[in-house]
Amino acid sequence: MTDQLAALTTIFTEFYYWVTVVLMFLIHVGFCMYEVGASRYKHHQHTLMKNTMLIPLVTVTWFLFGWWIYWAFPTGPGLAPSIMNESTALITDDSAFSATWYTATSELMAINLGDHISGVFWAAFLLFSWTAASIVSGAIIERITTFAFGILAIAIGSVFWVIDAAWGWHFDGWMLKLLGYHDAYASGVIHAIAGGFALGVLMVLGPRIGKFSSSGEPRNIGPRNPWLVTIGLFLIYTGFWGFYAACNIPIFDLGPEYGMEGISYWTATNIYVTPTTLSGITFNFLMSLSGGLLAGYWIAKGDPFWTYSSGLAGIICASAGNDLYHPIQAMIIGMIGVVISYKLHYWVERKFKIDDAVGAVAVHGYAGFIGLVICGFVLNGYPSSGYSVGAMWDGTTYATINPLGQFLGALIMFVVLGLIPGYIIAKVLNGMGKLRIPREAEIAGLDYEIMETAKDDEKAVASATR
Amino acid sequence: MAVTNWIDHLNKPAEEVVGAVYPGAGSSEGLLVILAIILWVGWHVLTGRSESQELERLSRKRHGANDYKSNITDW
Repeated sequence: MTDQLAALTTIFTEFYYWVTVVLMFLIHVGFCMYEVGASRYKHHQHTLMKNTMLIPLVTVTWFLFGWWIYWAFPTGPGLAPSIMNESTALITDDSAFSATWYTATSELMAINLGDHISGVFWAAFLLFSWTAASIVSGAIIERITTFAFGILAIAIGSVFWVIDAAWGWHFDGWMLKLLGYHDAYASGVIHAIAGGFALGVLMVLGPRIGKFSSSGEPRNIGPRNPWLVTIGLFLIYTGFWGFYAACNIPIFDLGPEYGMEGISYWTATNIYVTPTTLSGITFNFLMSLSGGLLAGYWIAKGDPFWTYSSGLAGIICASAGNDLYHPIQAMIIGMIGVVISYKLHYWVERKFKIDDAVGAVAVHGYAGFIGLVICGFVLNGYPSSGYSVGAMWDGTTYATINPLGQFLGALIMFVVLGLIPGYIIAKVLNGMGKLRIPREAEIAGLDYEIMETAKDDEKAVASATR
Repeated sequence: MAVTNWIDHLNKPAEEVVGAVYPGAGSSEGLLVILAIILWVGWHVLTGRSESQELERLSRKRHGANDYKSNITDW
């Protein structure tokens, strides 16, 4: 970089994403605390390790192929031509932003003085991957093997969510063009898919022993440690600021980007490279959080576990359109999402005997799905992209945001890329006898031997005189 | 004002480009504020009533000062 202003913009953008990664790390800390707080004492350490080990498992696979998938799959393949090379094939040629830039052997996937963005952008998306896997982790605590969870974490974290991101989040994604899909802060791209995936796994995994009475009545297995749950969820809220920031480009000149001669317009943009402001999304983040908390406190009659989760669900529900909503719209949408998700959670639990230990399917899956559908109505007619505006199903232009496109998008996220893969992979693992821990181990507690050894150690130390 | 095409929008005079872009800008703010106030007041009424019922139910049972100790869970 020889120009000082260009250098400043580049280094600012690099540092901006770097900070989002640090903030998003708190999401994972929060999920770990939350899960341990929700699990019973005899399962604590295994629960913690399960969620912790997804970090290296997803990170390494994200480096090897996850990031490549994001840049290769925007066209489907075969569904809509890329605006970069006008082909519907996987984007693996020499065009700009080709997936060839991001193979594990690429020189851009390392320290490279000509590239200040790839690493921090890769890491921001990686932290989204951890979140997707961590959402699944909470729902299935106390009865899944760590081996099976590792496979499932890689599947959701380094394959399926990133396919949906290429389809519905990438500026060149086919869902934007054919459906007018809009999901600025990942109601569907992260939350609906992870919730759907968790539901698919839960359908095969079954409930924890004792969750349902012999007559099928659900029993509440409350959080062991409400304080860990509290701190965990507050940390997730905190990390969510980084998540929102990472979904933006902090400074960008849209005039040349849109091919407008003589026009220069510097702005922050969302992930689709359309204008928004960090200031505006700050309004909406806090108002949707508040809407979720208000509705959750009311519907759950002051239950702290659900009230905290509802704050999160409020944000998640409004996230699809939080780049454009009015703050009061964001608040009301957050409220609607929470009430429906809460009711759905207990209906599904009772009707289908689904034991979602932390309400992850409701908070992430249902709230995300509902948020996408509502976004289609509230933002009906807004452009899904700045590059062009066209009709649905056309494919060579970008359809405008609309209710049908958002509904179909929600189905793709929750069912096609979430529930179905989760169900199939869990079925395969179950068929191999690798999915669920033995009944005896579940009753004794996953940590039984660790605790027994610790007890023996304690006795030995206590009786020692030197 | 609602945006239907970002290129057209950015081609407008500068003072229009930098204006509000949320749905219903310039026409719906009053209604939204009224809705927010209704929800805000409604929330206080509903949660206040629910809390009173819960406290009345608890009071009727006349538990002792140490009874809660038998309810501490040890999951």
